[in-house]
Amino acid sequence: MIVHPTPSQTTLSDPPTMAAPVPSRTYKDVAAVQALRARRWYVVMGVMLLLTCGAMVGCLQFGAHRLTMAEIWSALTFSSAGMDDVASVIIWDIRFPRILMGLFVGASLAITGAALQALVRNPLADPYVLGISSGAALGATIGLALGLGAIVGGFGLPLFAFIGGGLSIVLVYGIAASQGQLPMHQLLLAGVIVNAVCSALMMFATSILNPASLYRVVLWLMGTLSAPSIPMLIGIGVCLLIAIALLLRESQALNLLAVGEDAARSLGVDSVRVQRTVFLVSAVLTGAVVSVSGMIGFVGMVIPHLVRILCGADHRLLLPVSALGGGILLMVADTVARTVVAPAEIPVGVITALIGGPFFIYLLMTRKYRFFA
Amino acid sequence: MSQEASVSAVDSPLPAFEVRQLSFRYDSLRSHSSGDRSAWVIDGMEFTVHQGEIIGVIGPNGSGKSSLLKLLTKLVEPQEGTIRLFGSELGALTRESISRQVAYMPQDLSFDFPFSVLDMVLMGRYPHRRGGLWNLVGWERQEDLAVAEEAMAQTDVRHLANRMIATLSAGERQRVLLARALAQAPRVFMLDEPTAHLDLNHQLDVCRILQQVHAQLQMTVLLVSHDINLASQYCDRILVMKQGGLVCIGPPQDVIHPQVLSEVYGCQVLVDAHPDTGLPRVSLPSQNHHQVSVVTTTY
Repeated sequence: MIVHPTPSQTTLSDPPTMAAPVPSRTYKDVAAVQALRARRWYVVMGVMLLLTCGAMVGCLQFGAHRLTMAEIWSALTFSSAGMDDVASVIIWDIRFPRILMGLFVGASLAITGAALQALVRNPLADPYVLGISSGAALGATIGLALGLGAIVGGFGLPLFAFIGGGLSIVLVYGIAASQGQLPMHQLLLAGVIVNAVCSALMMFATSILNPASLYRVVLWLMGTLSAPSIPMLIGIGVCLLIAIALLLRESQALNLLAVGEDAARSLGVDSVRVQRTVFLVSAVLTGAVVSVSGMIGFVGMVIPHLVRILCGADHRLLLPVSALGGGILLMVADTVARTVVAPAEIPVGVITALIGGPFFIYLLMTRKYRFFA
Repeated sequence: MSQEASVSAVDSPLPAFEVRQLSFRYDSLRSHSSGDRSAWVIDGMEFTVHQGEIIGVIGPNGSGKSSLLKLLTKLVEPQEGTIRLFGSELGALTRESISRQVAYMPQDLSFDFPFSVLDMVLMGRYPHRRGGLWNLVGWERQEDLAVAEEAMAQTDVRHLANRMIATLSAGERQRVLLARALAQAPRVFMLDEPTAHLDLNHQLDVCRILQQVHAQLQMTVLLVSHDINLASQYCDRILVMKQGGLVCIGPPQDVIHPQVLSEVYGCQVLVDAHPDTGLPRVSLPSQNHHQVSVVTTTY
């Protein structure tokens, strides 16, 4: 019954004539395409870095006290008469750390959002979807409720938040992982469940807080970048750099996973390892960021979409550009937040939504973005 | 050169797949302690796929066709039995080495993310990538682009290279996916319903491309299809499955038989000869067709 095939057996009509194997001009085309792709990466990254630097310098100008470019220049180059003049103090002690914090936090939220959207193949995913942020918020609230917010030299709140975030990472992972696999729908569900439970517990905790602590919790939840300490800055910066390196290493695997998990595995992607890496990196980075800045919404979800509209979905470009874009958005938003009603401040989350929302709508309506097609 | 060719022709090549006593079930929380075999998705299958063959896998819904393809690519692993890929035990091969030999085109791909066609085709080069610290993000080399471009030319999507995948028609997408699989430079092509939801013209495109690839690169092709006529026209042998078991495997003339099909699908079918090729052609009887046993066939 089994017959070895002969080619003639299979042909329906004349077999189509094949193109000659790679005409010589193709080589030039290929070189051009490759040069274009590589050049595009460097050009886009270069532009983004320039924009970032420009945004930093621009943001240094604004605040309760408007500085001139000359003052900024002399402070940045240490050429002013004394290091203790007002401009130097404002820039080096107040604005620069805060701007840097905005850059780090915005970059962390955006790169995490971009990676998670690919991982769970859901355009609505953001860093808070994993439930880590609620765990951190619960931790911070408990710390405040116990009156321990100010211990360890002002690190009490972030410390409690980070412990809460860490515990919820363990919890979410424990619920989602089964038989050495990490099914994505289960991860999303686990995140939603942990979110709900932590929110409920936090509401209970806030209901028994005294008004002063309650006010601090509410402020913290709205998200703020004020007065970061140097160790915090260094901590977040190091976390961010490690996360960028680890996520970039998986960026091509994320491309494949975004198209389909079985197809990605058939192309040699160790999907469980990639999923575990991306989940853990995102979760830890989110936990760290939420601990120091509270919950700043919008950046993590919308920046990746903006970048996809402008640069496409290739995560090798999307991830680093999202990071810089998120950093820029948060720096600018925070500058607006601390300037418009100076010396008071608007919660920065309000500004990110007010700047980003209309811009996103504009892009959606003017460009063909087919994510929700 | 001719000497080499004759030598390789004399050597009987290793079969692409040797499947022995293959059984598989999806793990569930229910216990399987009893001797009940109905939970098995694949139940004791045995067959051999020779190099350079086009094999069509047919069978009713839920007969285990897709699971069989997943087993053959080690996307899932069997509880019992062995699979040999070109002579080596599939279970012992790494994901990466399998991915350099077998291209798998599943049905359920997502086109939501705005990848360009070139992005998509270059993904096929993933198994051949060179990593390292100096190339953290994994950019393709010139050679990868050359392979991708040739693949795109073969499936006639080169002019679409910069288009977003979401903006393409179903037929164009399928050709892009074929290009992606070609860029993978495999020895075996596995396709799950490659012509589903395509109009006639695009079905023909896909089949032509598969024939080209088969003829030019001596590629072994396994395709799951609900379209028995298509399988009959293009496949060297047809593998018929029912309830996780192998019913029969053989050339279309032997396998596509009214008795086999009515037993497998549980409904009456008419089989006659294709006007062009003489290969078997299947039709469903009309509603007032009561002559169950009268079937026009040349076999």
